[in-house]
Amino acid sequence: MGKVRPKKHAPHTDMTAMTDVAFLLLTFFIMTATFKSNDAEITTPTSISQIKVPDDKIMVISIDKTGKVFFGVDAQPTRAAMLDNIGQAKGITFTDAERAKFALQSSFGLPLNQLKPWLNMPKEQMSQVKQPGIPVDSTGASELADWVYAARKADSGLRIALKGDNLSKFPAFKDVLANLQSQNINKFNLITGSEQAPAGYTNE
Amino acid sequence: MAAIEESGGGGHGKGGGKVRGKKMSTRVDMTPMVDLGFLLITFFMLATTMSKPTSMSLAVPDKTEDQEKPTEPLKASKVLTLFMGANDDVYYLDGIAADDDKAPTELKTTRYGFDLRSVIFASQKRINAANPKDKDGNDAFVVVIKPTDVSTYKNMVDVLDEMAITKTKRYALVDALTDAEKKVLGDKIKPKN
Repeated sequence: MGKVRPKKHAPHTDMTAMTDVAFLLLTFFIMTATFKSNDAEITTPTSISQIKVPDDKIMVISIDKTGKVFFGVDAQPTRAAMLDNIGQAKGITFTDAERAKFALQSSFGLPLNQLKPWLNMPKEQMSQVKQPGIPVDSTGASELADWVYAARKADSGLRIALKGDNLSKFPAFKDVLANLQSQNINKFNLITGSEQAPAGYTNE
Repeated sequence: MAAIEESGGGGHGKGGGKVRGKKMSTRVDMTPMVDLGFLLITFFMLATTMSKPTSMSLAVPDKTEDQEKPTEPLKASKVLTLFMGANDDVYYLDGIAADDDKAPTELKTTRYGFDLRSVIFASQKRINAANPKDKDGNDAFVVVIKPTDVSTYKNMVDVLDEMAITKTKRYALVDALTDAEKKVLGDKIKPKN
């Protein structure tokens, strides 16, 4: 009986094309990657606004869903200068090590009196700390106002962006607004996600 | 194409005899490389925030500015007042003042999104048709936005966004409620515990 047995042949797929595509995508994602910052999870509301948030020279005041306020400045030298300014104003001296550590923090939410102990913690512990948020009150003269002032003193060209969480209550925003208005800051950006404009909307 | 030609090295047998070795497969197994490639792709895809956030600019009136030239009080008939309540409800008074006797019955409720937009468009059309433009060429229609303590930040952004969508040029964000408004809204704006 001529049982013809086909030659055992390992099925070999040509993966070249797949590799090409995979690495093309990989390159794309590496190039476009901007990492999520791990501080304070904030889901912003969406708007139809098309204006992009500027990448540099920006200070961001974040309000999380419980109304805690966080503050961050983008450039590291500005952060250090800001710390010096607030130290001067409040009579606190920061060591070089503290300043260097502070410059690495993209955003923070601690009252001034807890800042120094926090900066002296080991790195791993710093991220574990539950930050209570920067004290803000409706009178417009709270620590947030001091920070904004210190940051603007460090770099007068800083733009101000507000990033609020969907669920944060309006009074929290109102207090932040009072702090900005007390310093004559009347124009700022609200950071939002982008959303499709409804049908029929035209941008003139 | 991407397969690497294996040549030289171990290809030849012993010394003189021209022994032609078995033809070796010249293919390199690319599976691990592809695996790694996709692993990295997955990582970067998850770590990336694709849509860059946008921003809307908000300008608020100067508080310290002296009230040198008194502004004309708004006529209630030209104003749509939006009260942002709890649970994404919007209460509105269309062309009627809160201290009017009919206000409690005129106070209507709507939701964000399409419903609110329809309300604004309808009111805009009605008020602009009934009132001439002022001497600077502005439409008569004015929206007064009143956030309450129970509304969220998202509500405020949503309303401001509606202003952009409906192209309402004149709107004011006022965070203080008058006594008459408090009375009309009643316990709708009381924080629930």
